[in-house]
Amino acid sequence: MSVQSMKSAAPSDAGDDEEMQAGGEPTQYLTFSLNGEMFAVAIDHIKEIIEFGQPTEVPMMPRFIRGVINLRGAVVPVIDMNARFGREASAVSRRSCTVIVEVRSEDGPQDIGIMVDAVSAVLDIPASDIEPPPSFGARIRAEFLQGMGKVGGRFVMILNMAQVLSVDELAHLGDALGAAA
Amino acid sequence: MTSILDQAAGTFFAEAREMLVQMEDCLLRLDAEPGDRDTLDALFRSAHTIKGSAGLFGFDHVVSFTHEVETLLDRVRDGTIELTAPLVALLLRSADMIGRLIGAVESPAAEDGTGAARDAESRALLEALHAATGTRPGDGTTAAGGMAGGASTTAQATGTWHISVRFGREMFRNGMDPLAFLRYLSTLGDLEPVVTLDDAIPAAEDFDPETCYLGFEMRLSTGASREAIEEAFSFVREDCDLRLVPPGSRVEAYLALIEQLPEADPRLGEILVACGAVTRAELDRALATQARTRETEDVQVPIGALLASETGVPAQVVEAAAARQVKTRETRAEESRLLRIGADKLDGLINLVGELVIAGAGANLLAQRARDRPLTEATQTVLRLVEDIRNSALQLRMVQIGETFNRYRRVVHDVSKSLGKQIELTISGADTELDKSVVERIGDPLMHLVRNALDHGIEMPGERRAAGKPETARVSLNAFHDSGSIVIEVIDDGRGLDRDRILRKAIERGLVEAGTSMSDSEVLNLVFEAGFSTAERVTDLSGRGVGMDVVRRNIEALRGSVSLSSRVGEGTRVTIRLPLTLAIIDGFLVEVAGGSYVLPLDMVRECVDLRPEAAAQLGDAPLGCIDLHGEVLPVVHLAAWFGRPVVASGRRSVVVVRFGENRAGLVVDRLLGEFQTVIKPLGKLFAHLRGIGGSTILGSGEVALILDVPALVASAARGAQAQRKEEQTCPSSP
Repeated sequence: MSVQSMKSAAPSDAGDDEEMQAGGEPTQYLTFSLNGEMFAVAIDHIKEIIEFGQPTEVPMMPRFIRGVINLRGAVVPVIDMNARFGREASAVSRRSCTVIVEVRSEDGPQDIGIMVDAVSAVLDIPASDIEPPPSFGARIRAEFLQGMGKVGGRFVMILNMAQVLSVDELAHLGDALGAAA
Repeated sequence: MTSILDQAAGTFFAEAREMLVQMEDCLLRLDAEPGDRDTLDALFRSAHTIKGSAGLFGFDHVVSFTHEVETLLDRVRDGTIELTAPLVALLLRSADMIGRLIGAVESPAAEDGTGAARDAESRALLEALHAATGTRPGDGTTAAGGMAGGASTTAQATGTWHISVRFGREMFRNGMDPLAFLRYLSTLGDLEPVVTLDDAIPAAEDFDPETCYLGFEMRLSTGASREAIEEAFSFVREDCDLRLVPPGSRVEAYLALIEQLPEADPRLGEILVACGAVTRAELDRALATQARTRETEDVQVPIGALLASETGVPAQVVEAAAARQVKTRETRAEESRLLRIGADKLDGLINLVGELVIAGAGANLLAQRARDRPLTEATQTVLRLVEDIRNSALQLRMVQIGETFNRYRRVVHDVSKSLGKQIELTISGADTELDKSVVERIGDPLMHLVRNALDHGIEMPGERRAAGKPETARVSLNAFHDSGSIVIEVIDDGRGLDRDRILRKAIERGLVEAGTSMSDSEVLNLVFEAGFSTAERVTDLSGRGVGMDVVRRNIEALRGSVSLSSRVGEGTRVTIRLPLTLAIIDGFLVEVAGGSYVLPLDMVRECVDLRPEAAAQLGDAPLGCIDLHGEVLPVVHLAAWFGRPVVASGRRSVVVVRFGENRAGLVVDRLLGEFQTVIKPLGKLFAHLRGIGGSTILGSGEVALILDVPALVASAARGAQAQRKEEQTCPSSP
């Protein structure tokens, strides 16, 4: 299932594809569920969505790194989002997906897979419907959030992928673990 | 068109730089053994080639400067001037200047403001060159000796040559411009008249603007030799049809020319008459004679014979000249067998081969599963071929380390002069090959090590004499292959490293705690720690803050390792160990706790069964020892080390690995055999992971991890140390 097909399958009542804010703020988000909660990621970070396949585990790495997969010849790490948020590791189900996200690091862009319980839809969320993240009350670290989007009367947590998948931080966590081993 | 020219100019810059390296190399060799004829000739040729090619592109500054160098070298070659050490130094500086002049042409913007200084320096050098060329201390006997030994070109009196050239069709596509050749020829003498032959140009509908259809007939009044004129065409010698008629040739020579050329005979005759090469009467008479000869003898008279009989040149001379021409052509052909290829194209090929290896392994796996014997055999044949392709492709990227080593000759030469030390550099294993990407990245660390040796390692001559050592110090660069790695050594016979001083310094800097017991080797290798520098005074050569820790980091980034051994008063040896290639290795596939891991095959010595009693002794401890042929072998129990569940039952194996001086065993669940491994980097996320060097993709499409055996064993050794120091709550970080 490619992002393109997701886009075309997305409900179009929320507005036109071309509808962008003057400031260039992205308005399309991929929503997915983690442990029963809705999250959203700006779609321009996302390269593709693939069915979850068992990754090759890498020893001596933190729990949230599920392992590495072969993505058409490139070796891509897979992050368990639940574990990243300090929760129980995700259970694999039929609806589990790996979302391939491009993140920027010092050494240029890098692809990272994130494991989610299920992918929902691509939604248009106008900037006016996005509230700043609350200082507390959200069940994940505040710096992981870019904002709270109002969709159909409920909030979805819009993730700040640069923070969630900060390569430096992830690598540092791995380092700390390696040192303790 | 411009871009093609740029491309050709790019080739020129690359070639010129190579030639400069060669010049420098030759000069340094001549400094060591003056009077070596071959080296001198090579030196002259390099300068000559630079001048010639620069002329093609109209880089006049380069041409005029190089010309002076060439003139001086010519004098040296014919023995009128002796190549003394100051002269070598002058020529080295001149070579540098040529490099700078070329650099200025290549990127004019890069050096604003330095141009004036460069010009002044270049003028000073030119004067020095003139002065050197002008004085002739040599006497008659040496000059005669020089003449006898060399195949140097004797200058001829001015005469008018007839040059007939048909350029190759590919000329434009190869980035050449006929005008450039004419321009260069006109620097040799008077080029007039020039008749352009456009006969080959087809009708407009067939005309291809990128194809060169042109030919030229021209007269050149010059004192230059035949070789010099031919040299002008050396860039296109292979594809163009070039004929020279020497001055004073008789009409028959032109007749022969007419016969050989593709255009219709009468047309050529007209052109030759137009050029003033022959008169109409001469031409008519000659054509008639030829026709008669043909009728009566029915065989073509060889041109050589014709020339000899008509002009009175002895036949041997003609033959000798012909033989020499053949030889020249052969050497040119030899040169043209070398291809210049962009590194990115090669990398693209290597990547594709990597994919091919993976896809081939996948096909083979499917065939085996299908139990289809003919198919399996077919895929195995494919795999074998792919392996050959892989080896050849990797071979393309292999370069000899000698070129890198030779760079340090100059460094040693200059540094020994500036420091007043006497140092001799010996190089061995220059033909050892390694991957180009490794070579490119080893240059800087190696330079640092060499400079360290020169600056800090080697003592002043007086000090050496007092210590009873020869005044001339020796620095050696060694390279050799050893169990799938390349080993590079930098050895000096200088003062060596003082263990106690290093330890004191390390304690001072807080790198180790006072009272820690360490082996000599451990102490010496502290110099590679960050923030360590023994240099008490900073010189302009090293100690500029780029320390040995940077050397180690650079080498480790190449999956290599560096170590140091030294004895006070006897010298220091730095050993660098690097993988041969960064792309594809022969791997050995093993299974540990359900996961696949690859070991570099070159490091695998043998595989033995883990005997039940040894297994029982090991239990689920990550580290242990087994008895291997009566010797104690430390082993890493991979499953336990990786924190995986240990399956006590079932057959397990021990893979005995060796790297450098170290030996260790790795306990694995299953041996899966050899596997061609395309190395895929794991990325920054896993940069801190010790013991896993990368990943690869198996035929099944699954990812397998590549074990970094030296790092794994080293961290296991540290782990064992940490176990021993149980009182510490937090073990020292790696």
